[in-house]
Formats: sequence, C-alpha cells, structure tokens
Amino acid sequence: MTGWIMGIGWVAAPGCGRGRTAATLPVWNESLTLPARKDLFEQADLRFGRLDGFSRTGLAGITMCLRDAGSEEWQQKRAIGTIAVTSGGCLQTDLDYLATMIRDGGKLASPNLFAYTLPNCFLGEAALRFGLTGNSVILHQTGGRQLDVVCRALEELTWSDCEGILAGFCEVPVVAIPCPETGYGSLFLLLTRTPDAHSGTYGKLKLHGETLTFNDRPITGLVELVEACFSTLSK
Amino acid sequence: MKRVVLSRVAAVTSLGEGVDSLWQQLTDGKSAIAPVKRFDSSHYISHYAACVDGLTAAAGESLMVPLLDQVAGKLGPLPTDCRLLVATTKGEIDLLEARCRAGIPVGATDLPTVFLDRVARRFGLSPSVLNINAACASSTIALARGAAMIAAGQVSAVLVYAADIVSEFVFSGFSALQALSPESCRPFDRSRSGLNLGEAGAALLLLDEEQAYREEATILARIAGWGAANDAHHVTAPARDGCGLILACQQALARAEIEPDQVCAINAHGTGTVYNDAMELTAFGALFDGKIPPFHGLKGSIGHCLGAAGAVEVAIAARALQEQFLPPTVGCLEPEAAAAGQVGEKVQKISGDYLLCCNSGFGGINGALMLQRIRL
Repeated sequence: MTGWIMGIGWVAAPGCGRGRTAATLPVWNESLTLPARKDLFEQADLRFGRLDGFSRTGLAGITMCLRDAGSEEWQQKRAIGTIAVTSGGCLQTDLDYLATMIRDGGKLASPNLFAYTLPNCFLGEAALRFGLTGNSVILHQTGGRQLDVVCRALEELTWSDCEGILAGFCEVPVVAIPCPETGYGSLFLLLTRTPDAHSGTYGKLKLHGETLTFNDRPITGLVELVEACFSTLSK
Repeated sequence: MKRVVLSRVAAVTSLGEGVDSLWQQLTDGKSAIAPVKRFDSSHYISHYAACVDGLTAAAGESLMVPLLDQVAGKLGPLPTDCRLLVATTKGEIDLLEARCRAGIPVGATDLPTVFLDRVARRFGLSPSVLNINAACASSTIALARGAAMIAAGQVSAVLVYAADIVSEFVFSGFSALQALSPESCRPFDRSRSGLNLGEAGAALLLLDEEQAYREEATILARIAGWGAANDAHHVTAPARDGCGLILACQQALARAEIEPDQVCAINAHGTGTVYNDAMELTAFGALFDGKIPPFHGLKGSIGHCLGAAGAVEVAIAARALQEQFLPPTVGCLEPEAAAAGQVGEKVQKISGDYLLCCNSGFGGINGALMLQRIRL
C-alpha cells in the first residue's frame, strides 16, 4: 500500500502551524491553548465560536493541513476522508454537558454541547467547511501505536474510492485525567493516491504489514514521521 | 479479492435475547417502546424508550457490562485469529453520569479504551482493538471495515461487537435537540414527529467465505458490498438531497457489481424524525430512479439503538433475505407518498438475492452494506 504526503498541519504547544511555513518542529506536551477563530480564519465565524475545545483543536489541525497542501479552497465536493485517533476524545465535553444536565432535572441540558458529545462531529464540521465526502471516523484503540492511524488511513486509501485521506490525532485536556503520552493538540497529514506536481509532496509512504516506510526509511512514530517530512524541505 | 460472509450473530435487544426471538416478535409486529423507568423523564419532551427488560448492573458497573455478558454468552467459541472491532457511540456513559452525580472525580477508568479492553477479555480475543465511532452509522461502518479487511486478505475472521444503552445523558440530549417523539415513533409515516431511543448489544462474526466453506461454518449471508460517505452539509442535520447516502449506496452497489434493479429490499435507517426519513426517501428515489423496492425499518419496534443500530439491522436483514419477507415497520400507519405501497405495518414478501442496509448519523456520516443471499 502506498500514499503520498501532501500536507501537514497541527495544533501544538506554541499554537497552530503547518509544515511548509513552520520555522521549527512542532512540540506536543501538557501545554495547550485552544485555537481561536483569528488563528485560523480572517472572517468572523459564528460556527467556530460554538465548537467545543476538542472540535476546535481537531478542526484547526485539519484546516492547517489542507492549507499546507494547497487544498483549502474548493469548488466541488471532494472524495477525501478523515480518520482520527484519540484517547480522551470529547470526554471533557461530556463532563461539561453533564454539568448542564444534572442541574434542575435536565431542564437546562445544553443542546449545543450535546451535539459535540459525539467525537466524530468535528469531522462533520471539517467536511462541510471543506467539501469532504469520504468516510469520516474517530478511532479509539488499545494495544497499538499512535502511528497506526497512518496505517489505517493507507488501508482506507487503498480499499475505498477516496482520492485522499486526512489522518491524525486529537487530544485535549480532561480534568483529573493525566496527559496522554502524545501530549495535547492535534496533527493531521493529507495522504493522496498520487503526488500533485503543482503543490508538491513531502514524499512517499509505503505499508508492508504493519511496517511503515517514508521515502524508503522505516518509521516507528508519528513525531518521527513529521521530522522526516521536515527533512525533505529546504529551509 | 476474497469474498466475505456473515457467519454467526448474537444479539440482545429490548425484544429479548437471541435473533430467533427478535425475528419472531418483529414479524408479529411487536414493539418494546414503553414509558422509561430507568430515570426521571418528567422534564423531557418524551417519556418513551425501548429498554432491555431486567438489565441491571452491579454497584459501580455500567449496564454495558451485563449487556456484553449476555451477548458473549450466546456466541460460542471464536476463531483464534479473529480480530475485534467495536462500535459504540457513548460506551459506559451511565457510569460517568453516576460518578458525576455522586461527586466522584473522573479518572483514567473513564476513558473510552477501558471498555475496549473489557470486550476483548470477554470474547477472549487479542487486546489490540479498534472502536469505530461514526455516530449512528458506527456498526455499519465497522462491518464495512471488517469486510474490507477480510476481502483484502489481511485477516480471515473479524468479530464486530456493537452496543449502546438508553442513558439519561443521551435521552436528555435528544430531548434538548427536540428530536424525541412524545409517543411511539412512526418511521416513514406522514405524522412522524421524532425518534425513540433503544438499546442493544450485538456480535456479528465475519469470515473469509473460503474458510467458512472449508470449516463447514454457518453462512447467513454474503457481505457483497459496502460504502461510506459524508454529506459535507451539516453536523446534526442530514443533507436534504441525500447526497451522502446516495454516494455510500452507490459504492455498495459498485463493490457488489450489481445494478440497482437487482436490489429486492432495503433495511432503512428510519429514525422517525421528519428530516431523516425525508432524506432517505429522496436518496432511495434517486438511487432507484423512482422505483423504490420494498423497505422497512426496525426502530418502531426496538427504538434507535445508536451505534448498535446497524449491527442489529444487518442481523435481521440476513434473516429477511433467507425467509424472503420483511417484518412490518411498526408505527408506519400512513406512509409518505413517496413510499406508498413499499413500506407499512404489514409483512412484505420480497423476491431476490440482494438487500441494502443503510444508516446515517451526526457528523453527516452515512454507511451502506449490500447483503447477498447464498443459496446452499
């Protein structure tokens, strides 16, 4: 199975970034400032203000990734799917919603918060903003590596009709739960079937069994993959 | 590409344990939708849901645990190399709610992955598990992924375990969204006014067809095609033109290498909400060029089982293909004009080898599976 990395975008400790304009490698740790609308979009955007923290963080990563790939603008909907892995998911939003529900026997339960207690909802938000009609799922996994999401994305690219798959992770702080090993934030890579000569590619991914290579070099972690992508840029 | 079959099914729903019992009660037009007793619904717009009778959890446990035990106890031994995919939207959400009410701080045991470990242990399978969260299309898309894994030769057996429960968390949310029906829901009826929640656990074993024949395993149906697509329209409302559902169904048709006129029946999502059912009728009309085959929905009988909905519906769809008739769509007294004669409260005879199952969910996601009857 093969695919080409066309774009990289993230929300990390210093904020939002993307591969082709970043001066330094992103760092994910226990620090996270939720992205604001002005970090991403020039125009006022009522919808963005309604998003929960998990959705903001995921949507920001996808936006930066598509921008990096030169694929943010669109005229017609596109067969691009999204697969994101998460440990905590929208658990903090669940807790925020419960706080509205438990008061007054449910009379004050927030419909807006409830809509974001499904972790895949930010994928729908990204789909409608960027015209993405491919499969869109959130994965929780046990017994695997964070890098496995890239493997699952290459499988989806091979087995489906999609021309591209956004693959990544999204984690936000949840009160009283330790920070996951990945740190907080999001990272998305746009994988496509073929390289686009116009916008350029970071390089080629190959999957044999569970062994992933990037430009023929074995890769064992997501951060290592981002570093390898950076090394292909002349900065 | 390898062929994929549905070999075994175990299910627990509000209409009892086992697929045989469920099938019988569905064909008899029974409904388990009743006043909800699990929590106080006095402040919500509906007081109805379809709960599993007698489902109780030990102190400090989620209802998902006894539900899992009941389903796992019915499935029998699994192939040793079987991979596990789980499909749940909210998992052990009742436990989180109970802890919050009691003022107990959340902890790592509240993470969604804890339930995945529990499922793997209960079925005696490898702890390497994926949960597919695609809202109400979760199990449909998990089955599609399982079928794709087998078709590609990556594995020869996949178990999909799908489950969700009726919780005040979800009930209050759908109430706040004004999506619940104040009475028993009426899928595809002109007077429909919303959905009723339900709960279920279902385990479906998919096998490589060659292996199934070699081992003389039971074959319930072939999974001939599958598809998944996003509307790219709205987070909580379906696209009125049904664009995402049409795309998912077209993918399932293409993978099965059949034409729309070879589809003899549809198991629709049929939530009973005004917009979902209208969207499905629009999509079916476009897909079948106005000649919609007989179709039905289960949610008037067992409620909307969220992430488990698709899995239960596929189990029933396989039986419908074998028996060559569709159970009634309970609550559909006066079908929408676009569905007249093709759906209703009566059993419908069907004639053919392919049945389309589809589900849609929040986030704009749609999933479709094409089941094929295997004549032995």
